[in-house]
Amino acid sequence: MRPEALSELQIDAIREMGSIGAGHAATALAQITGRPVGIEVPEVRLLPVIEVPRALGGPETLIGAVFSRLLGEVSGSVLFAGTRGALLGLVDLLHNRPIGSTKTLGSDEESIITQTGFVLITAYLTAIGRLADLTILPSRPAFAFDMSGAVLDAIAADVGMKADTAILVQTAFSTEEERVDAVVLYMPDPDSLEVVLGRLGVV
Amino acid sequence: MLENSIPGGTSGSDPTVVVVSTGELALAEHPSVLLTPALGSCVGVAVWDAARRRGALAHVMLPSPANAPQDGNPDRFASVAVPKMIALLGEGLSLKRFVAKIAGGAAMFKGDTQMASIGDRNVEEVKRQLGLLKVPVIAEDTGGSHARTMEFHLDTGLVIVRSYLYGIREL
Repeated sequence: MRPEALSELQIDAIREMGSIGAGHAATALAQITGRPVGIEVPEVRLLPVIEVPRALGGPETLIGAVFSRLLGEVSGSVLFAGTRGALLGLVDLLHNRPIGSTKTLGSDEESIITQTGFVLITAYLTAIGRLADLTILPSRPAFAFDMSGAVLDAIAADVGMKADTAILVQTAFSTEEERVDAVVLYMPDPDSLEVVLGRLGVV
Repeated sequence: MLENSIPGGTSGSDPTVVVVSTGELALAEHPSVLLTPALGSCVGVAVWDAARRRGALAHVMLPSPANAPQDGNPDRFASVAVPKMIALLGEGLSLKRFVAKIAGGAAMFKGDTQMASIGDRNVEEVKRQLGLLKVPVIAEDTGGSHARTMEFHLDTGLVIVRSYLYGIREL
């Protein structure tokens, strides 16, 4: 299936899938932080793989990203990412400290962000798997912190080995006091997308 | 300042700066400056023609289209972009006057071995293509696990590589 050939109905189904996945991820984040966490209505975008690097601010914006490959009945990639400031804020939320307390992104912070990102990724994939009655597991997470263009182009290159177009389901999390401007990007391979849409009954 | 920006970052509003995005290539001559931001596993290839003070810059994403779809922008492949930039610089000219400088090819995610190899393979294919065209690589800043922004000055052939971790390097 070519992603650009998706019908409105299929795009709606992907958006719904993204909402449910993001909702579960938000619930997981709320449980970890002990505060209510809301999500924004996910934005679903179909992009040429070479435009994926532009998805998170300018190419030189510094971001942290947790990446997992999909294992199981479908293939693809999933990414949890945020700007430096957002991730420092996330660390404060997790430590139940006022936002702005954490100033540096050291190995401890990197570890906390990777673990939390992985929990969110897993919650997201579990929700999608349940919806589509598929077993979808994330691989061991990998972390990178650098210019967003470079982090995302590495992932786009990985996706680009199989596809010309990536499907981004992008959501942001927020608490009552603070908005954690992080995103989950879901990039199923085109063949896998067909499988998932088939299970949802919209092929 | 250093916290959220790259040292010496170019705003991009300067009309003499030609920005080359991921998977693209461009040709320019002095006084223009060619710039490609945020190379990760991608490789920036700068080919300079000293006599004419002009050059081409490519932001290569993948080695070759052998195992990937043929459609989409073919310039993202090293095997397509490198011969094309040499052709644009002047087919029929003596290739002896062209020199190349390359940067990028990092492994952005150390924990993922499949992805880590893309950068190495990009560097390898870029060098192979330049070798086939007899264009020597006279300087490079490749590998590692950090992003790079590459700025190519066409009067001197100077390539400035900026990174978050290492600041500014000149090639």
